[in-house]
Amino acid sequence: MTAASAALNRMGIRPHLRRRELGLLVLVALIVAIGWLSLESFRAGRLEVGDATMPVAYLVLLLVIHVAFVITGRRMDEILFPAAALLGGISLLLMIRLPQDLVQQTIGDQTLGLGSLQLGWLSLSFVVLATLAILVRSDGWLRRYKYTWAAVGIGLLLLVFLFGDVVGGARLTLRIGPFAGQPSELLKVILVVFLAGYLAENRALLASGSTRIGPLRLPPLAYLLPMLAMWGIALAIVIVQSDLGAALLYFLVFLALLYVATRRISYVILGLTLFLAGSGVLYELVPRVQERIDIWINPFAYAQTSGYQIIRALYAYGRGGILGTGLGAGLPQIGDVPSIPAIHTDFIFAALAEEAGMLGALAVLAVYAVIAERGFRIAATAADDFRALLATGLTLVVVVQAAIIVGGNLRVVPLTGITLPFISYGGSSLLVNGAVIGLLLALSDRGVEPPPPDSRRRLIDRVSGRARRAGGRLESALS
Amino acid sequence: MDVFTFSLWILRLAFVALMYVFLFAVGRALWRDLRVGVASAGRALGRLVVVAAPEGRPEVGSSIPLDAVNSLGRDVNNSIVIDDSFVSTDHALLTFRGRAWYVEDRGSTNGTWLNGQRVEGLLPLGYGDEIQVGQVRLRLERAPSP
Repeated sequence: MTAASAALNRMGIRPHLRRRELGLLVLVALIVAIGWLSLESFRAGRLEVGDATMPVAYLVLLLVIHVAFVITGRRMDEILFPAAALLGGISLLLMIRLPQDLVQQTIGDQTLGLGSLQLGWLSLSFVVLATLAILVRSDGWLRRYKYTWAAVGIGLLLLVFLFGDVVGGARLTLRIGPFAGQPSELLKVILVVFLAGYLAENRALLASGSTRIGPLRLPPLAYLLPMLAMWGIALAIVIVQSDLGAALLYFLVFLALLYVATRRISYVILGLTLFLAGSGVLYELVPRVQERIDIWINPFAYAQTSGYQIIRALYAYGRGGILGTGLGAGLPQIGDVPSIPAIHTDFIFAALAEEAGMLGALAVLAVYAVIAERGFRIAATAADDFRALLATGLTLVVVVQAAIIVGGNLRVVPLTGITLPFISYGGSSLLVNGAVIGLLLALSDRGVEPPPPDSRRRLIDRVSGRARRAGGRLESALS
Repeated sequence: MDVFTFSLWILRLAFVALMYVFLFAVGRALWRDLRVGVASAGRALGRLVVVAAPEGRPEVGSSIPLDAVNSLGRDVNNSIVIDDSFVSTDHALLTFRGRAWYVEDRGSTNGTWLNGQRVEGLLPLGYGDEIQVGQVRLRLERAPSP
């Protein structure tokens, strides 16, 4: 006990009030409470509170995390957590509202439905968020082993490619015993860590642009190749698995990070040209891409087949209108299932837009914009290039993913199946997005030790000396 | 319209309206942060943090604000004077040129080192990189955030 308290003192833990965060969390609690009241009252046909265990449990969890932040006294961003908590709260309400038998899992003798499962995943996700935000004090473990991280990511994807299950036409689910997960969710974070590490190290060289091809000035090719190769491998595997959403996300994040690191618009133009050329080739070669583009241009020509989902979503926006139908009142069912396939994952935005209306949907989009602002602010005030690029990449992963799927749902861009961060149902997506926001919070902490130079031995290395040597061997073999 | 339908309608609108109250509260916080940021604009381009100085000067952990052009050396006419017995009179030059920082050696006796590599000619460097002149090791960092 004395050792523990001495350790706490050494770490300099002094409680630090977070009034702004508390105020925003109170608003989140109000929103969830009013939403719950409106949902239960509509279902019961009279003013009714019902069994409010699930929303109350969620709000208690948020409070516990807030108190943990206060006690540990980290001076982190106070807006990111309430923003994520609001999205999670809306997600919980929507999942409780949707038919519970969309997803069912039996644990022991209890059968859990959609709402309880989502509550479980949300809780785990926020616990991961809080743990990372509080415990991560050094980024050395991310900074140093960038090639190892990249190898882990590629290894995960290969595993999926060899042993993965096909769900909805895409091979992206990996089953280990009773657990199933989607490694492409984790890969996006690993890719960001690798790109941030590589770009921070070679930023000045990449920006200098010494090779000339026509009007374009490119960096020395040797410095661009490892990065392009890494990206190409990831992309190729993803296309083989026909996970188009993830491929699009990786490519956009890659381009944006390259631009942020070098401030060269010529790279972006080159990348977009390559993207258009690649899309043209894929349109001819991959039937899935062709189908997605066709139903994007004219879904009504395929109303009973591939365009069915998007057309049902378009009807939903129409029914919702500006103010929405109110929670519980929308989403007509055909038989026992909602008329929009995958409403709880890829098309959750349609459910939101119907029941909360255009105003509610716009508010949720604005919350993603808030997350973007906070993330980029953390990047802009970071102490060094690696942290700045890491914060930028982590932010981009969340908001670009939201943009891709919302754009797809609204028929602004071709539809690619991907989750809406913090709102869609799904364990992998929630856990990874929780980890992303947790890392952003850790990066925003003004009390974190300065980034260590590569040559200095750090505590974390001494503790994990054996792991380090193994990692070092792998690293030298790879680079 | 009976009382129940009316209260349900109010609840429905309150649910959406509260989201905008949340956004308003966030917006106000963002606006305040932005104003603080604007007030502290025009600060230094970066800083050098002293990582190691065996002779005690400059003090380890202290930070030196940087201009666009910084000369390092033992002579008092340098913009950053480093009083270490292995540092030459005019030792090195650290410059910010539009997009990136560059370091060059000014013919010093013991050389200038970037991340353990000897600097020959002009070398680019980024935030987080380490320069060594004489026995003194300095890390380039972004200017502290407000």
